[in-house]
Amino acid sequence: MRRERGAWVRPLGILASLILVLNFGFPEAAPAQAKLKVGVLHIGSMTDGGYNQAHAEGIAVMKKNLPEVEVIEVENVPETADSERVMESMIKQGAKLIVAASFGYLDPTLRVAKKYPDVKFVHPAGYKRAPNLTTYWASTPEAFYLMGIAAGTTTKTNKMGFVCALPVSFFLANVNALHLGARSVNPKVETRIVFTGTFLDPGKEATATNALLDQGSDVMGMIVDSPITVVQTAEKRGAYSVGYHYLGVQKFAPKGWIGGVAFTWGGLYTRFAKQVMDGTWMSENILGSLASDMITLAPFGPAVSPEAIKMVNDVKKSFLDGKKEVFAGPIKDNKGAERVKAGEHWSTDNLGKMDWLAEGIIGQTK
Amino acid sequence: MIEPILTGLLVGSIHSGTPLLYATLSEVVGERAGIVNLGLEGVMLVGAVVGFATTALTGNAVLGVLAAALAGGLFNLFFGFLVITRRANQLASGLAMMFCGVGLSALLGVSFVGSKIKGLDEVGIPVLSDIPLAGPMFFNYDILVYLAGPIAVLVYWVLFFTRWGLSLRAVGENPTAAFAAGKNPHLRQYQALFLAGIMGGIAGAHLSIALAKTWQEWMTAGRGFIAVALVIFSKWHPLRAIFGSLLFGGAIALQLQMQAWGVPISPFLLDMLPYLLSLGVLAVWGGARRLAAPGSLGRVFQGTE
Amino acid sequence: MREARKSAGSFPAQGDGWLSAMVRFGGLFLFALGAFALVLLVFGKNPIKAYVDIFANTLGSAYGFSEVLVKMIPLTLAAVAVALPARIWLINVGGEGQFHIGALLAAWGALNFGNLPAWVLIPWISFLGFLGGGLWGLISGFLRARGWVSETISTLLLNYVAILLLSFFIFGPWKDPESANYPQSAPFADAAVLPSFFGTRVHMGLFYSLTALVFYHLILSRTRWGLEMRAIGANAEAARRNGISIGRYIMILMFIGGGLAGLAGMAEVSAIHGQLRPSLSPGYGYIGFLISWMAMGNAVGMMAAAFLLAIITAGGDILQMTLRIPGSVVNILMAIILFVILARKGGGR
Repeated sequence: MRRERGAWVRPLGILASLILVLNFGFPEAAPAQAKLKVGVLHIGSMTDGGYNQAHAEGIAVMKKNLPEVEVIEVENVPETADSERVMESMIKQGAKLIVAASFGYLDPTLRVAKKYPDVKFVHPAGYKRAPNLTTYWASTPEAFYLMGIAAGTTTKTNKMGFVCALPVSFFLANVNALHLGARSVNPKVETRIVFTGTFLDPGKEATATNALLDQGSDVMGMIVDSPITVVQTAEKRGAYSVGYHYLGVQKFAPKGWIGGVAFTWGGLYTRFAKQVMDGTWMSENILGSLASDMITLAPFGPAVSPEAIKMVNDVKKSFLDGKKEVFAGPIKDNKGAERVKAGEHWSTDNLGKMDWLAEGIIGQTK
Repeated sequence: MIEPILTGLLVGSIHSGTPLLYATLSEVVGERAGIVNLGLEGVMLVGAVVGFATTALTGNAVLGVLAAALAGGLFNLFFGFLVITRRANQLASGLAMMFCGVGLSALLGVSFVGSKIKGLDEVGIPVLSDIPLAGPMFFNYDILVYLAGPIAVLVYWVLFFTRWGLSLRAVGENPTAAFAAGKNPHLRQYQALFLAGIMGGIAGAHLSIALAKTWQEWMTAGRGFIAVALVIFSKWHPLRAIFGSLLFGGAIALQLQMQAWGVPISPFLLDMLPYLLSLGVLAVWGGARRLAAPGSLGRVFQGTE
Repeated sequence: MREARKSAGSFPAQGDGWLSAMVRFGGLFLFALGAFALVLLVFGKNPIKAYVDIFANTLGSAYGFSEVLVKMIPLTLAAVAVALPARIWLINVGGEGQFHIGALLAAWGALNFGNLPAWVLIPWISFLGFLGGGLWGLISGFLRARGWVSETISTLLLNYVAILLLSFFIFGPWKDPESANYPQSAPFADAAVLPSFFGTRVHMGLFYSLTALVFYHLILSRTRWGLEMRAIGANAEAARRNGISIGRYIMILMFIGGGLAGLAGMAEVSAIHGQLRPSLSPGYGYIGFLISWMAMGNAVGMMAAAFLLAIITAGGDILQMTLRIPGSVVNILMAIILFVILARKGGGR
């Protein structure tokens, strides 16, 4: 009985090998040459409604603006040794510009950059550069401050909740800005922050949101890869939300949406590609601000009053005119120490060192 | 001040504990029939993705849950084929099923990441949910949560008070004797695994359709493995499983709650609580628990020996 | 649960001709390829193209091949980490946790002893890596030896604790002050980085893994310990009555097994990353388990299986680019390979 069952394995194996061998011998015809090949690495899914989708859409805009560019895009690339291999694969396929769209790819990208000096690399939020590696980011605290104003006027319980992946300085800066913005119009606001410890865990994000809402928060903010879970959970319980990363999230909260800060990388990516194609690309550290096309404020939701919207626009104008600084002193942290003196401000170049939470925020950074 | 903390914690434990309870029940049924399924994680993922996809495509969350249950059952039947008919090692097969579930769910779910579904809404039980304190705490959940406890009781009743359940347990204790008494152990085990798969699928579906209302690769994040530990913790008893799942779900919710309260302990140390707790309980009461295991757990009946 | 281990496939007696085993394995492997091809076809993808891409991406270039070797290093160590305790039917699924603790302790060494010269530092952190993983495995071994907790469960649970412990350190005491609060440790001193060869990423860890395989084989086939282990594996009660101390073997084997996984962690963190980071392992511990079972504990088989799975996992990245399917589908292929092997060799005893 056993032998009979096993007999067909071998012929099947031979057949399979034949098929493999036959196909090995016929290489694919080379596709028409594109003017530039761009390789893109995403840490998560391109349709996550958040961080990754924002990057993906930026690339899509670039493709639309520059039809002669060909894109090789890979999702869910872990930040382990594998990321280097993926980049090498892309370079072997002829990519001359690599977009390594996640913080954790920095060191792998630097190593690959060293190996291929004629390939250009761009990396978001990196803090180290190389002659062929540019780092870029859009500074969002000002936008969060504006959202804070809208939130501060809309909240009924004066309690805001924030679900944050990790206590990375740039994220803390955003939370501080949101809180300070809210306090500027509503000094009673207090913000609670919970760290989930990971950029993506919908189960934890939902539980964290519920925990914060149980504490009485009625405005939810988040910095996780996909804002969908937090926004949905807030909406279900009748709370408001301030979105992040991606404009499309608004549809998940038709009633409770206050506003959001989205990244729109299309213009920047188009510029990168153009520069590589006409040879004007240079390594630099690009920090976009409110004025740039890299940040877009989402439209306000129905809950925000017209007076609040006017206030937001006024403050926005003073940011753009340079008349106002987000982190203008005096600012104390939530342990009582003074972090910014009166008359001074914590500059946006120094956000990388912000490891504290402002007074009135309940939470731990370690 | 205490009130929101306690309610929050209880609500959180119920939310986190529900998928754990279904998963634990799934494993209890299987192990009572003598089969250890380490691939529970895979079953849950398949359930989660099928449930989410079905809900997204049909707009009907209940249909999604049913589809998830069916998918889980079928997935587990394949596991059954491996370990019952082909007599493969259960632990290795289980882990292989986990890998398979991870990959399969990723493949199935590709086009559904970021999709919006209406999901399973919370249903407030009409009068009861208006009771001042207990109302929102106990009576405002989605139906899978409400059903979890009764299903646990149902499983208990089936296992201990029906003939079918009796023969299932007999198979798990001593398949040779069961065979001699005229039962068909293999059939029982397949049935048990199908039932287990259904519950595992529902566990996954609760995560994707009710709790998070979204789909991501490997979103079960190890809950399947925790359930395997919980089975031992609850001494293979469906009713004790309720307590175990609540406790564990509570530990998961606790660390997030503690952060929301501002407790100055590192969130990572807090996160270890559920696992250390399980390990601790198992270690302290370990000996007694092993005696509570079904006698033939892990072995597969081979006909007259 | 005790019995689950015994219902194993036939771990082949040492005398089983390895050539015929390889041929049999080859047939099974091709069958698995066929089954996976069917899965791909169901989703409308071209399986031939998938296989060609995977193999071309890995074996078709020197770089690709070197990457396969890079992946093989932790996989082989993780496999032996499972295979060794498995000789006495211990199921070690804790490779992940042991890997991370090994990396953790090795990192401690690298960060605190950075000014030692490489020829001192590298052995020191290698030792620490082994020690870390070994102690982690020993916890489970101890709990099992005392009859309190099955090692299957304890190793699984401890996996999660290990990763959290690592996170605790890289977010807290060991966080790199330069990295904008992003969770990673300060970079290791150059002296703490395992050297690599010929400009590839293949590093000295290769020697560790080959040595581990050789020692595994020799110990089992040539030493008294190997004999006693096989005796325990065949009939624990009889072995105990003959005076073999099972409890001691349990603890020692869990220690060594854990240590090997820890060594893999040390090698990965030192040679590939050069610092402690949150994502160090794409599941090496679990894949190592698959390898150990595919090869049924046979040393040569494990090397072959590790090579194969390294090709599959390394080559799998390409599938996203060329076939537009998620990289994790290779998990299905790996699972099918194991299914096929388990289904054919399965024995209920």
